[in-house]
Amino acid sequence: MPTEKEFVRDKHISYLKRGLTLLPKQYASNDTNRMTLAFFCLSGLDLLGALESEIPEERRKTWIDWIYAQQILPDERNPEINEKICGFRGSPFSGLPFDPNGSRESRLPFDAANLAMTYTALTSLLILGDDLSRVNRSSIINSLKYLQKDDGSFTQTYQGMESDMRFLYCAVVISYILNDFSGINIEKAIDYIKNSQSYDFGIGQGPGEESHGGSTYCAISSLYMLNKLDEGLLSKEKTLFWLISRQESGFQGRANKPPDTCYSFWIGASLKILDKLELINYEQNHNFLMQTQAKFGGFAKLIDNYPDVMHTYLGIAGLSLMNEPRFLELDPAINISKKAKENLLNNCAFHKQK
Amino acid sequence: MALEAEVWSDIKPIPLDDGPDPLAPIAYDAEYSEAMGYFRAISQRDERSERALKLTERIVEYNPAHYTIWHYRQQILFSLNKNLNEELDFVKEQIESNPKNYQLWHHRQVLVEKLMDASCELPFINEILNDDAKNYHAWTYRQWIIRTFNLWENELDFVNKLLDKDVRNNSAWNQRYFTLFFNPTKPTEEFLTQEIEYVIEKIKMAPNNISPWNYIKGIIAKSNKDIGILEELCKEIEKQDIISPHAIGCLVDIYESRARKGSATDKEEGIRICTLLAEKHDAIRKKYWEYRKVILTSL
Repeated sequence: MPTEKEFVRDKHISYLKRGLTLLPKQYASNDTNRMTLAFFCLSGLDLLGALESEIPEERRKTWIDWIYAQQILPDERNPEINEKICGFRGSPFSGLPFDPNGSRESRLPFDAANLAMTYTALTSLLILGDDLSRVNRSSIINSLKYLQKDDGSFTQTYQGMESDMRFLYCAVVISYILNDFSGINIEKAIDYIKNSQSYDFGIGQGPGEESHGGSTYCAISSLYMLNKLDEGLLSKEKTLFWLISRQESGFQGRANKPPDTCYSFWIGASLKILDKLELINYEQNHNFLMQTQAKFGGFAKLIDNYPDVMHTYLGIAGLSLMNEPRFLELDPAINISKKAKENLLNNCAFHKQK
Repeated sequence: MALEAEVWSDIKPIPLDDGPDPLAPIAYDAEYSEAMGYFRAISQRDERSERALKLTERIVEYNPAHYTIWHYRQQILFSLNKNLNEELDFVKEQIESNPKNYQLWHHRQVLVEKLMDASCELPFINEILNDDAKNYHAWTYRQWIIRTFNLWENELDFVNKLLDKDVRNNSAWNQRYFTLFFNPTKPTEEFLTQEIEYVIEKIKMAPNNISPWNYIKGIIAKSNKDIGILEELCKEIEKQDIISPHAIGCLVDIYESRARKGSATDKEEGIRICTLLAEKHDAIRKKYWEYRKVILTSL
């Protein structure tokens, strides 16, 4: 037996810090998703217990400002004019001047918030220790109404992109963080999840589609936050079997596909929510992740691939789920550390007792 | 390649205003930054022109996932009454080099929805699936095409061919289920009986292939048959000295269903084979089979 590789904690910290300060040009295709890339790096550092020691407080504050600068706020005189586009953008690509208090005047024809970016903006703020006091809750919740389709799924922007389980999850987790579910037709959302359960009791991106680890996570986590796990899962035991069957060494996302770093999180977190993570083989999952770990920091999707920011974060999150030493504990539904969730519950006006 | 100066001389590009200490900044190519500067300037006034169309083409070269650019491009195409069949060719090339890009598949869907003509779609998707028969985007789009344009007729033949090529292709098994049960014409009782025989043959070819096992259990549940009809198959595989955790696992399901109806012998047998799976044949799932054993014991 070869000796197993060690977790290169310090190198991962350097890799994530580089991601926060300058990404190579290959990331240009993620220009609209910079908020999500930032979240992966921030949450990764947080789970490693390194955020406060590695990033000075002053810098964390300027980053909080950068996140708020991506918020599209309702027009003061006529909120109806831009109510469909409120929330957070992924980056300032649409061209308004930088304003750490958000863009109130935004009526650009091609400017709009995006559900995935609103979700990762909120989580990044929580990780950075912000109390969400500058978040315009009512405008975000109101905008959700325009993004839900008749079948119950959500689309990411009002501009009409694809709609599926990913954005249903985003809508639910945003509502959970903001403690207000009035923007979602819950009955339709549950129906969409039920209809997307396949004959093998995994869950696809939509009705008729192949069961997939990512969409299964989105569905299970949404049901959990809606407090509808029992109603929404047609058979909890059979979904459990589908999840458990994905372990090959690490986890695959679909039957007969190779294991991939990110499913240690998607499948692992699904099992954690169902309170059954202890049924997996920790050692084999750990050893697989040590093989996709790059020597100089970061995790790759597959063995012998180059690392990227997303797989780095999901690899770290996967290890954190298994309570490895020196990791902060992860909240599997919101996908932030329990420490960041404590910040939400104790310091944010949306959750504090009146 | 720089943008043509004379075409853009009336426009003052708007630079990216990223604040004093931006989060996750990207070292953009100069060409991308330049093109985005012009995009910011002309999109603010919703300019829909030939040069705007060319500009979007330039930007997606560097960032094919830019959904706002695709949305802008669609508005321009429609406003200028462009030939959308030419655009289908353009997006075809794009998808061929980026087959796993959500925005490109969505763009194609928007065009086909507008044209209400799907005559090129199945051959195009086949080409993509020929390179990667498990491409989730291609399957999602294929299902949309089949439903929207009612193209169910030859789909089962297509799935048969894919399964002949690779019986482990779970996407093809899923498409088989989709073809049978999402079709407005539902399969007959007789068809389902034949279908079960078809799957049993495929299982015998490769008893360690999980996909047809999942599929056959799905078909049995859907047609309200008893899972016990698989007992013979499972035992036949066992007799041939082939170790298939899926066959043994299926026996656990069968025995458990009978134990729930009060059969003590099935309960005992179920417990015995859970131990076998946990200790020997599916050791990676040891704790899971022990958990199933606890459930059986409690019955």
